[in-house]
Amino acid sequence: MLDYILRRLALMVLTLFGASVAIFLLLRIVPGNIADILFDSAGMIDPAEKQQIIKDLGLDLPLVEQYARWIGGLAHGDLGYSYVSEKPVLDEILPRIPITARLAGLALLFAVCTGVPFGVISAVRQNSWLDYILRVFSLLFLSMPSFWLGLLVLMAFVNWFGILPIYDKAPPTWGAFALMLGVPAATVGLRSSALIMRLTRSSMLEVLRQDYVRTARSKGLSEGAVTFVHALRNAVLPVITTIGIETAFLFGGLIVTETVFNIPGVARFLVEAIRWRDYPMVQNLVMFIAVIVVMVNLIVDIAYMFVDPRIRLRA
Amino acid sequence: MSDAWYYARRYPLGVAGAIILIVFVLTALLANVVAPFDPLTTNARASLAPPSGTYWIGADMMGRDMLSRMIHGARISLAVALGATCIGSGLGAMLGLASGYLGGWFDLIVQRIAEIMQSLPLLVMALVITASLGPSLTNTIIAIAIPLIPNVARVIRANVLSLRELNYVEAARAVGMGQARIALRHVFPNTLAPLIVLATAQLGSTILTEASLSFLGLGVPEPYPSWGRMLSESAAEYIRSAPWLVIFPGLAISLVVFGANLFGDALRDILDPRQGD
Amino acid sequence: MMRSRLWLAVACLLATMGSAVAQKQGGTLRVTHRDNPPSASVLEEATISTLMPFMAVFNNLVVFDPATRENRLDRVVPDLATSWALTDDDRTLTFQLRDGVKWHDGKPFTSADVKCTFDMLSGKVASKMRKNPHKTWWFNVKDIATDGDNKVVFHLTDPQPSIMALFAAGFSPIYPCHVPAAEMRTHPIGTGPFKFVEFKQNESIKLVRNPDYWKPGRPYLDAIEYTIIPNRATMLLAMATGKFDLTFTSDLTPELMKSLQEQAPETQCVLQPTGTQGNLLVNRERPPFDNEQIRRAMVLSIDRKAFSDILSRGIFDVGGVDLPPPEGRWGWSKEFMETVPGYGADVEKSRDEGRRIMKSLGYGPDNMLPLKVSTRNIPDYRDAAVILIDHLKSVYIQAELEPLDSSVWYARLARKDFSVGMNIQGISIDDPDATFFENYLCGSERNYTSYCNADLEKKFHEQSQMKDLDARRKLVWDIDKTLQMDAARPVVFHAKAATCWWPRVHGINIAMNTIYNHWRFEDVWLDQ
Repeated sequence: MLDYILRRLALMVLTLFGASVAIFLLLRIVPGNIADILFDSAGMIDPAEKQQIIKDLGLDLPLVEQYARWIGGLAHGDLGYSYVSEKPVLDEILPRIPITARLAGLALLFAVCTGVPFGVISAVRQNSWLDYILRVFSLLFLSMPSFWLGLLVLMAFVNWFGILPIYDKAPPTWGAFALMLGVPAATVGLRSSALIMRLTRSSMLEVLRQDYVRTARSKGLSEGAVTFVHALRNAVLPVITTIGIETAFLFGGLIVTETVFNIPGVARFLVEAIRWRDYPMVQNLVMFIAVIVVMVNLIVDIAYMFVDPRIRLRA
Repeated sequence: MSDAWYYARRYPLGVAGAIILIVFVLTALLANVVAPFDPLTTNARASLAPPSGTYWIGADMMGRDMLSRMIHGARISLAVALGATCIGSGLGAMLGLASGYLGGWFDLIVQRIAEIMQSLPLLVMALVITASLGPSLTNTIIAIAIPLIPNVARVIRANVLSLRELNYVEAARAVGMGQARIALRHVFPNTLAPLIVLATAQLGSTILTEASLSFLGLGVPEPYPSWGRMLSESAAEYIRSAPWLVIFPGLAISLVVFGANLFGDALRDILDPRQGD
Repeated sequence: MMRSRLWLAVACLLATMGSAVAQKQGGTLRVTHRDNPPSASVLEEATISTLMPFMAVFNNLVVFDPATRENRLDRVVPDLATSWALTDDDRTLTFQLRDGVKWHDGKPFTSADVKCTFDMLSGKVASKMRKNPHKTWWFNVKDIATDGDNKVVFHLTDPQPSIMALFAAGFSPIYPCHVPAAEMRTHPIGTGPFKFVEFKQNESIKLVRNPDYWKPGRPYLDAIEYTIIPNRATMLLAMATGKFDLTFTSDLTPELMKSLQEQAPETQCVLQPTGTQGNLLVNRERPPFDNEQIRRAMVLSIDRKAFSDILSRGIFDVGGVDLPPPEGRWGWSKEFMETVPGYGADVEKSRDEGRRIMKSLGYGPDNMLPLKVSTRNIPDYRDAAVILIDHLKSVYIQAELEPLDSSVWYARLARKDFSVGMNIQGISIDDPDATFFENYLCGSERNYTSYCNADLEKKFHEQSQMKDLDARRKLVWDIDKTLQMDAARPVVFHAKAATCWWPRVHGINIAMNTIYNHWRFEDVWLDQ
């Protein structure tokens, strides 16, 4: 077990190294750099001024040297300075991370708290009209573009309740605060909720047919105990898998939701940073996301092994 | 034929999905015939016209008929969905097949590359790719296809790993059949089922990704009427005064993706009977 | 005797009561913002995204009288300069500066600061500014000298009546000598009514009242807060539900203005010229537009009214280089405009002639000239480009849209790697010196189209020195007409947009002929 984890950690480092090179190169393939953008916004082209900016930011150095500078700084905890705001990258990223983390966390919480129970109900009442309705709705939620949903939700709130649950630095009431957090989280989480519901349902169904459940039933345990104790424990597996897969996809939903609900989080910030070709910002942010995704994958795999002894044996 | 009726009765939702998809594909193919107006002609006087006898679902800011734009938009969405799914799933399947079957260094490297690709957020990758290549239909398809590759490769690889140990594959190897032939003739056909299921699942998500890209200002450029772009910024501003600009493209996207998901679900139930019923 | 004095006393009391009730102190003005300012340094930027929030941090030497709605050359009033005088055949401009003004960090304001600022702007001194977009404005400044702490002297090469307009422009604030340019980009120090507090990238900008402002009793507001909301739909909803007091200037198209007023009828909106014009960048060095005939045909195909109708339901103005009346001071009258080819009301006739020209060159409905129309990949630009492509069809030009990412757009323009570009550009002052010199001077860096007409340039300088407004205007009209006929940079529309606010906001005074001014907010107050 331990050397499996160590092996994975070593591979993780390899992946992260590859990711760093990938994002570094990708950014430089994209045409235009900060100097172009700055000048575009000012409409003025004194080539000498532009060259000076490029020199000041070290953009005329050979690529390998630029990469070495970045990684070297990273090793010392120095993430560099934003090209746009000229402030340290860490100062820009740190306050924004908790905002996005809160949104993502609440979204996942919402997804699990709605997806699992509905999945169980749907599996237990298989092929009933309730099952069909739940299945249709979950597919529907998986099919909607998240920003469209977000806009409609905003519109609904404004039209029906006269409230606009967009981000507010100082919400006037507890109710407003709850809405400000809850509505975007539910919008982002709806997709994951539908996925979790479906996966819970299908693995519950599979598990409900398994031998050991039949054995438990024949031992005389009540229907309720059988369902919730044995089956559910094994149905937790897909939830764990989903969290792993969804972490990567969640980000897209976060970008869009943060834009619609005007939340000053890290996702929206990343998109802007790309538009500005703010290399230090984009590189470090993407690395941060990569670390999270890879770690989550590792944790999910380990959790999997704990929950399902068969996998542990194979590893 | 009786087989088809059998399946149709057992999987009504799947049939519903199939019908939606067929309508979608037909609309896309027959766009020029079905659309009442030219989707590209601007008409100042009809700007933001509400739904009426002439403009069944209204007109947009430039006076272009929304219905015609939606119909032609089906073409774009179909092209993006098919193109990205085929390229993404195709390349992913090939990689997964090779990686799973050959194993060793090749497998390790491909695995790492796939993991790297997966750790970079999909939308960010697509953003970067479209920004580098410039906005166009082809580049959008590429941008959406590329993040699909590692996902498909991983699933196919897992499948292949389990298939490799099967008896008849062992037997084929013992008899001396070449690796490539074994891969193609014995292993690959058995990965087809999960591949088809995966591909149909991706069909819906590619359309959604295109919508998100357009929302961010990338994706398919003017003047092609893509559903995603019809939903983007300039339409969303009018959400209160001209809601038809926003509601219908969103409905269309949701409906087609819904149909694809229904169909894919039913297909998975049929091909992979361990799940579902 | 007693009674009249009593009445006088009562009258005085009432008067003071009246003025005390009229403006209220306090409150935070909440304004929406549409995108991230590249930096907080007004001198380094040319975008309204920076100017509107940060203008309140500064003062100029002189300003356009904020009580008027027009920025006029003959209505320039003192700001940091209490008076000014022209001597030496109008080639020496001396400013007398105000006493007792302090920078936000407490240091005193002196003439040295004025010299520093304009030395930097005119390029006489190497500065750490990353860019200097307004350098061309100061082409005429030969030398700047200080005479004691309260006097500064500008030596000009030629007389230039319009230079006062340049000093009064929003983009000409006075910077402190003792604060480095890099700091001005992130934490600007000025003498203005509001102090800078914070600028969170892509999130918000906060300014707070300057209690030591040299105008007594001003400003009325305690603070101003800008929240950046890039998504227009969200911004509109937020404005309609009263979360904000004021929208970003000219952020609402006429349609959106109508939509907002339907949702929130109490809001007040002002619809006026934005100072931006849509024009075509025609690359004269590249086929097909190296051919003068084809240039002419293209110009004749444009239906300017259609642009206005489609983009704005007919609200946009049609005109030449200068902003058309009644808002603009230098644009053509309606009668004069009819005489300019391509601006006539009969579009079909113009297009017929265009088709004739193209036919004579061998093109026709079966042999269309292929072309790429480049533009920025932003909705406003794209929409205009789509309309242009439609029009070009009428003269047998088959055009295709080439939307470019902003950075690519700029780089391609600089390299002259384009055939025709649909461009939307802002002119920050309604004055021909600004418009002509920035874009049409041979070798000017903003002259993307390589247009070079030496005779016309002589005329640029001629009008710049004319004092008689009417005579100057006549010359400006002729120059403008020549520019349009030459297809130097065919102007397609002058945009108009709306700014809206809730009635609790008082004292907003938006200029009629520019958006790049009047954002000091020193007379604005909130009725809470």
